[in-house]
Parts: sequence; C-alpha cells; structure tokens
Amino acid sequence: MTRYGMVFDVKRCIGCNACTVACKQENSLPDGVFFTRTLSAEIGEYPNVSRTYLPTICNHCEDAPCEKVCPSGATYTRDDGIVMVDGEKCIGCGSCAVACPYDMRTQIEETQITNGLFGDGNLTPFEEQGYSRFECGTFTKCDFCSERVDGGLDPACVATCPTDARVFGDLDDPDSKVSKLIRDRMGRQPLPEKNTRPKVYYID
Amino acid sequence: MFKVSLKNILRPGFAGGTFKSGYRFQKYWDTPMATAFFCGETGAGLFIISMLMDFLPGIIFGLLITGVGKTFFHLTHMGVPGKAWRAMLRPDRSWISRGLWGIIFFVGFGSIHVLEMLFNVVPAGLEPAVYMLAIAGAMVVVTYQGFAMSHSTAISFWSTGLMPISSMLYGLLMGASLVLFLNAFGFSISSPEYISMVGLAQVILIIAVQICLFSLLHGAKNGSKGAEQSYVLLTKDFLARPFLFGVVGVGGLVPLLILLFIPTNFIINLIVTGCVMAGFYLFRLLIFKAGVLDPILSPADIFKR
Repeated sequence: MTRYGMVFDVKRCIGCNACTVACKQENSLPDGVFFTRTLSAEIGEYPNVSRTYLPTICNHCEDAPCEKVCPSGATYTRDDGIVMVDGEKCIGCGSCAVACPYDMRTQIEETQITNGLFGDGNLTPFEEQGYSRFECGTFTKCDFCSERVDGGLDPACVATCPTDARVFGDLDDPDSKVSKLIRDRMGRQPLPEKNTRPKVYYID
Repeated sequence: MFKVSLKNILRPGFAGGTFKSGYRFQKYWDTPMATAFFCGETGAGLFIISMLMDFLPGIIFGLLITGVGKTFFHLTHMGVPGKAWRAMLRPDRSWISRGLWGIIFFVGFGSIHVLEMLFNVVPAGLEPAVYMLAIAGAMVVVTYQGFAMSHSTAISFWSTGLMPISSMLYGLLMGASLVLFLNAFGFSISSPEYISMVGLAQVILIIAVQICLFSLLHGAKNGSKGAEQSYVLLTKDFLARPFLFGVVGVGGLVPLLILLFIPTNFIINLIVTGCVMAGFYLFRLLIFKAGVLDPILSPADIFKR
C-alpha cells in the first residue's frame, strides 16, 4: 500500500527558499501564510561558526495529533497517508494548531484575503482565482500538493528544489528513493519524542 | 505588562520570525479562549458546590456563567462561529467535542433541575437521574479543558496530568468562594453548618491549588527543553511578575492569610473572592502565554555537529 513521505537532505539544502515560493504559488497562499519554510540556524561559536538550513513542512504524521484533537472531523488521513484538511468542515477552533508540535498549521485571517498581497485591497486575477479555495477563519496546512500527487507529479516544492534536497516518494516501497535514503543514510524524524511518527525524514 | 511582544519573541533562542530555528510561542489560544476556560470552570465549580447544598442562586449563577459566558467567549475565539455545532461531531477522539457534550448535559439537565426546584416539573422518580446527569455534565466541564490541554504532547508544559487537576481545583475554589460571597451578599444558605464547611473547603482548596502550581512548575523545570522555557518565562522572565505576584501572591497567599488570621465579614469575603478570581484569571491567561513549542529540529543536537 502506498504511504507517501518526504526526505530532506540537509547537506544539499542551500536555503534559497525556492520551495517556499513554489509552494505559495502552487497553493495561492495569502500574505503571511506558509506551508513550507526553510529555517536557518547558526551553529558553533566564533571563529568556528556555520549556518545550517532546515527545510520544514507538515510531517503528515502517522499518529497525527492534529487529527486526534479536531472536534469537527475536518482533519483526516487519506489511504495514502496524506493528512488533509476539509475547509468546509473546519470551525477554526485552533486545537489543531495548538496540538501540532511542528507549528505547521496556519489560520486564514480575513484581512489576509481582503488586503491581498499588495495590502491595498486590489486583488490580482491570480489572487482572485486562488483565494476562492480558502474560507476565512479556518485552519489550513500542506497537503503534499495532493492534486499534483494524484496526477502523478511531485509536490511543487520537490519539483522546484534546484539541489534535490527534497525527495518525495512511497515509504512502503523498499526500492523507492526515499526508502533507500532513509535506510542508507539513517533518516531521522523531527521531534521523535512527541510520538507522532512523522512521515518526513532528515538526512545529513 | 505581560504582552507577548515582538521584542520578547525575538530574544535569543526564540524564533519569532518564521524562518529561524528555535522555540516558538503558541499563539492561537489567547485571551478569548482563556476567558472561556475561566468562565467554564468558574460556572461549573459554582454549580457543583451549590448543588451539594441545594443553593438555588449559586446553581442559577453557575449555569449562566457557563451557558452564556463560556459560550460567548468560545464563539468570539472561533474562526468560523457559524459552524460551531460541528464541534460536537467527534466525541470519540476530541476533548473539545467531549467538552461540548458536557456543556450540553450540564446546562440542559441543570436547567431542568432548576425548574424542578422552582415548579416541580420533573416526574416523580426521575429527579435523582436529572440531578446526577447535571452533576456529571458539570464534572466534565470543570475538567475537560485541562484534558484538552494535556492531551497533546506539542506543548510540553501543558502535557501533564496536573492540567485537569488544576482545572478542577481552581473551579471548585472559585465555586466555594462565590458561594460564600453570594451568601454574604444576601442570598442566604439554608443551613449555617454549610457555611463553615464551605469556608474550610475554601482554605483547603487554596492550599491544594498552590501545591498544584508548585508541582506544575517543578515538573516543567525538570521536563523537556520547551517545558523548561515555560518555567523560565513564568518564574524569571517577562511573565514572572504577573505569575508570582498575581497568581501565587494575590491569588493564593493573600486570601489564605486573610482567611487564616482575619475574621470574615462581607468586605473580607469580597476581597478574598476578588483575589481568588483575579489569580485564577491570570493563571488561565499566563498558562496560554507560557505555552512554548520545542524547536522543530536542533541541528546541533540531532546531527552532532
């Protein structure tokens, strides 16, 4: 059975945030809303200092805390393991945002939609078309670009990454690239102590 | 004074911006949610204490505080209040959903009980069932918010069994304080024995709440890094003043000393109830403000660089 997951190669990531921009474009995300971010962290002390980039995204956890706490049934997991949000059912209570250890839930606020990307209330045709998928007040998150995945494509962030730092595939297929990377390079899940069993792995 | 300002978020170790690795504050449950929790626990606590004494004014006020106050602030907080009814759909997995059912049972059967006390509307033999269902609903309301907070491991400070216990203790303390205040205000309790009993319960509950707060901080101090950050925020950082002076001092030590050493009268009752109420409200607010998420990944720790 297919179980989609993602691997981030921290060594390859150059922090260009092309993934962030591709995601915003693919999902028509309003100002201030991000489904994926590349975080930066400075390590060490002068004179031995380096900067590391950490791509982050919804981890589509096996034991998703956001799904467990959702009182309206808006959050659900597809058969292929992608954790989805049904905007029609979301009541905007925020319990998913509070329950997510990775801070990967975002609320769509009315001003974000009405002000538009330029902040003057004049929406571009791109925004007018894209914002229709959101309902103000609801919570949203990354869905691994499910419409692209259903069409046989990689998520937009993976397709855009210039260094192949993001790899997407089937975790249940032992021959898939993600499975091999996790196996060969000891993939680590973020915050494993939270017992959410993320389907996103980091390799170094 | 304790506003989560940009300055505080951006201090070293905390990632206020969206593209830095570090600790993050939870920001989605804030003042309206804290006020809703406060109203829920206060109303349910007042209801439970009043039911044990058949104290009708307390029962009615308890129902109103929860039924009107809590509902209003929950709807204020909610992103899509028009769909609030949907929150009752998943009691099998969500404490928010279970809590909503608790509120429905509490307000529904509590109101029927009030009608029974006033007009004897319940058929003979069913009164105990109505009484028990109303009490059960109130017990859910006075504790479920703590369970909702402790259910998830995301915020280490909240992820403790002490959360529902603190909810219940604070709820019952508020109930006892308000019953004594209402009694002093002119809504007399039928039996004077009850007054001394509730007075003793109030002192015990203040001590129990303080022990619970100490345990909560002790657990946080020795917990994960995120919980430790919450401990530092509440005891040494910008939330320390309102927490130590407000929650522990004004909300606990001051009323305790007053009750132990000064004979009670209307003014003293008013001061004690005000202190307890202020302390509890600050507690609810600060617990939300001090909710810290662990860094998503600490490269230094994880990759041993």
